[in-house]
Amino acid sequence: MSLFFSQVFNGVGNGVVYASVALALVLIFRTTGLLNFAQGEMALFSTYFTWKLTAQGLPIAAAIGVSMVVSFVAGALIERVLIRPVEAARNPLNVVIVTLGMFLAFNSLAQLVFGTNPQQMPSLFPAGKLGSLNIQKSTVGLGVVLVIECVLLWLLLQKTRIGLALRAVSSNPESSRLVGINTGNMLMLGWGLAAALGAVAGSLVAAKGTGFDASLMQQVLLYSFAGAALGGFDSPLGAVVGGLVVGIAEALTVQYVHALQGITIIVPLVLILVVLLVRPNGLFGRKIVERV
Amino acid sequence: MHRSRSMRLLLLILAVALVAASCSSRRSSSTSSGTTAPGGSGGTGTAAPGAIDTSKCPGNDAAGIGGDTITLASSFPQSGLTAAFSEISKGYKAYFSYINAQGAVSDAGKKYKIVVKDKDDEYNAAKTITNIDSLVGADGSKAFAVFNVVGTSNNIAIRQSLNDNCVPNTFTATGSPAMGNPKYQWTIGSTLSPYSLESKAFADFLKRTKPNATVAMLVQDDDYGMDYEQGFRQAIQGTNIKVVKVEKYPVGANEVTAQITSLAATHADAFFDGGTLLACPNALQQQKAANWNAITYVSGTCIAKTLMGIAGNNADKAYSVTNIKDPINPQFASEPAMKLYRAQVTKYQPKADIDNGIVAYGWTQGALFVEALKASKAATRSALMESLRSMKAVKGVGLMIDGFSITTNGDKDPFMGEQMQFVQYDAAKKYFHDVGTMLDFEGQTAKLTPPALING
Repeated sequence: MSLFFSQVFNGVGNGVVYASVALALVLIFRTTGLLNFAQGEMALFSTYFTWKLTAQGLPIAAAIGVSMVVSFVAGALIERVLIRPVEAARNPLNVVIVTLGMFLAFNSLAQLVFGTNPQQMPSLFPAGKLGSLNIQKSTVGLGVVLVIECVLLWLLLQKTRIGLALRAVSSNPESSRLVGINTGNMLMLGWGLAAALGAVAGSLVAAKGTGFDASLMQQVLLYSFAGAALGGFDSPLGAVVGGLVVGIAEALTVQYVHALQGITIIVPLVLILVVLLVRPNGLFGRKIVERV
Repeated sequence: MHRSRSMRLLLLILAVALVAASCSSRRSSSTSSGTTAPGGSGGTGTAAPGAIDTSKCPGNDAAGIGGDTITLASSFPQSGLTAAFSEISKGYKAYFSYINAQGAVSDAGKKYKIVVKDKDDEYNAAKTITNIDSLVGADGSKAFAVFNVVGTSNNIAIRQSLNDNCVPNTFTATGSPAMGNPKYQWTIGSTLSPYSLESKAFADFLKRTKPNATVAMLVQDDDYGMDYEQGFRQAIQGTNIKVVKVEKYPVGANEVTAQITSLAATHADAFFDGGTLLACPNALQQQKAANWNAITYVSGTCIAKTLMGIAGNNADKAYSVTNIKDPINPQFASEPAMKLYRAQVTKYQPKADIDNGIVAYGWTQGALFVEALKASKAATRSALMESLRSMKAVKGVGLMIDGFSITTNGDKDPFMGEQMQFVQYDAAKKYFHDVGTMLDFEGQTAKLTPPALING
């Protein structure tokens, strides 16, 4: 039984990682109605940037802060320079293709700029386990950061005028424009915020004590998509729950389903299919009803 | 409508991506129909031991030699997730530059400069095929030989056409025993020990130190992992050593926490960490976190400075094998071979990470290639292969460790890395030190490896 719980905690450890990237995916979806396939690789670039700052002597917390700000600006610029021109065509597929291109480009760019060797990020949280539980302190730290992010995001989207404008733009850009919302700025804001969230997620994942290289986010992104689809693409809470479910399912599969050794990725796929068959909008997603 | 339609579309793309990812991680274990038994062919008796029957060759034995240059072709990841392997090329390129500046290499009485043309394949075997086709020519009329292509599946992908065109595929950068498949006589491996011999080395060590050991293994879910697992199972036959659990992780994954928790729960006496790249140090970290004290072996692919540095104290006392002098070990610092390596790599490849063992590996393969050219009877492809397949106790080339000698013997024994030093990591000093004397499996790879792994 203790082995079972050990694996559940392992799953939670990976699940918070998936959830934190899923949160950034949800944020972009909530504010722009699109999915960003390059989210993970943008986060990778931010992570390398954080690492570079720590290598220059900046403490890790400060480095993450600087990296967030820079990533925010970069994310907003990407929206303005790369996404908006193709979005004008009104075909969501165009943007999807551009984000896929960015997925490849950011990975290569990160290697070009920061080199190909694995690197080590200093830890933000103390090493070791929490009490007698088989759970790493870094996992708990990441979980706490995740909860804070969720709350801030919820406050921003539900309780502020900017949040209202963000939601309005994603739900109906034309009407928003008519009531005087600067949709362009809102879209840039959405991308900027998501990039900043990605910077936190990537940096904290890399700071878990093991090294990181350019493959850091590739598997994470797939599992995060699975988590977001499971929880519902428009729900921050859903992203977190979905990420955790996927992480735990993965760890338990490794322990108990030997037939799936090496292909545990099949588990989130099956989870998504089942959930989407029963609840097409995900566990926490809202049903979209439109009048015709 | 806009959102729900795009939502459906994106979920579809996601599903496709997931399926594609799961397919690629489950790479088909290329069990081709090559069923020739090791040492089973080549029964003419009259030819020299390493000679290859060239009667079916297209007759371009001297292609790739123009005037005073010999052109070599290579393909390896220079971008993408495994681009760190490109460091190897800096080692041999530095060696070739050094030799060219020394007045070139003498092959059958004439001097030649060595030129390497390479392309990026991102570790994708399909790209390796196009790269090598364009560099060697689809009919084999361009580059003289292929040199140090990185990766098992990448070399397996090109060996048939190189075989058909009688183009040497030399010093492959993989420890797969399949590089010694006698069906592909034009392919020959490098000094990397066959993975099955690494398993044998650890099994023998356990036999001496813990004869009733229980063993848990972490291996990658592909041919590479299979070489370790099946090699180990064969090596412990007839002993009291037992494999109690094997966990596999997806190709390219770094995250192996759940696998290690599962292995640690067995409380096995010994842990075989067959992880490569970051999976290797991550496994050691999780092992430590699980308080699993076991006699630990790490893959020979993991002993690079960068990976062991990341593992740090978690790698303390871990065992492995090597046959190349580690540039970071002060024991070798004052030796002329090491001084030459440092001076020339700094001179010709200033961006290379000179302390990285894989650069030293590349340097040594370059040096061995030059030795093979010098020893070949003619400036032809078949003479080069004959030279490579009949090496007699070659010692002290490049950064080969003292006591390591290479002997090859045609189809019976095309393996170079059959001797190795068992080593143990000292985390405080940050390098490996020797344990015991050299292990000598000379001429025994075919016997110690399950035949399916060689003929795969």
